[in-house]
Amino acid sequence: MNQQSRFCSSSASFRKPKSQATAAELGLYWGAAAVGMIGFSYATVPLYKIFCAATGYGGTVSGVETVEVKMKRRAEHPNEKVERAAEQREITVWFNSDVAQDMPWEFAPTQQNVRVRPGQSTLVFFTAKNKTDKPITGYSVYNVTPDKAAVYFNKIQCFCFEEQRLRGHEEVDMPVFFYLDPEMASDWNCRNIDDITLSYMFHRVADEDLEEEDLDDNAPTLIKLHGPGIPPSTLTANSQLRVTSLSPAA
Amino acid sequence: MAPMSRNITSAPEKGVFPLDHFGECKQLAQDYLTCLEKNENEARPCNDLAKRYFECRMDRKLMVKQDLAELGIDGPAFLASVSGRSSGPAHR
Repeated sequence: MNQQSRFCSSSASFRKPKSQATAAELGLYWGAAAVGMIGFSYATVPLYKIFCAATGYGGTVSGVETVEVKMKRRAEHPNEKVERAAEQREITVWFNSDVAQDMPWEFAPTQQNVRVRPGQSTLVFFTAKNKTDKPITGYSVYNVTPDKAAVYFNKIQCFCFEEQRLRGHEEVDMPVFFYLDPEMASDWNCRNIDDITLSYMFHRVADEDLEEEDLDDNAPTLIKLHGPGIPPSTLTANSQLRVTSLSPAA
Repeated sequence: MAPMSRNITSAPEKGVFPLDHFGECKQLAQDYLTCLEKNENEARPCNDLAKRYFECRMDRKLMVKQDLAELGIDGPAFLASVSGRSSGPAHR
């Protein structure tokens, strides 16, 4: 209170010249503040990106490291805290399967759930059966929930995104090989996550969308990918593999 | 500031498993699944069967030949064998 009255009295005695000077200065200060605030709001975009990349907030994937690189790093520079936390944590992975409305396949997981520890790769299966007489081509997409855990879910190999063709009444096993990062066990954001759900959905590729070669039943199955940003390396990984030729007579 | 809730989907690292159209490894897959059932869906005890399934696939060119330990199938046990120390609490 005393300080306030002192300030008021001083401004009262120097009122006229001081207020004229301060009006221009105030205008300058406020103008600068306004420009600063506008500039800051533009700067939040790259700043937020840096923040997310550094902390993984909101599920941002920080760089793309393969499982081999991660395992090597763990072997050469093990983080004791992370390893111990991962050893003690058990996560149950649940499975969900769906087919699109126009997809006459039976598609289901072979196990309802699997209990895994972060830091160890796991194999699971789905089965798909073509209920009709004709060959049908489909491709699947997947989803991992909750989002916080999705960033730690690494799929090493699976059957998604690529067109898969089943002959009439054919039933086939579809494996999924995945790895949960051990860092999940020591992530404070994930401390309450004990269940993860992996959902797959199969969509049908309509016959008119298939190219001439695909409709020729004696030709080998061509690999076509549906999905965001599939790196070309996935094709080279498969190039030395046998491509199955499907014939209706078999 | 709410985080963007996007579905994080990305291509699998090693690509796609070619389908086992002729059921060549089907029996091993069945063995693995039976093991899972017996162990109340716990994955670790069934590791050896998973490895045998992958070896079957590799032999029939349904999977790229690779050392499975590199892919993390043994998890911490692999780390212990590589770094030559026990996977227990740290010795400082």
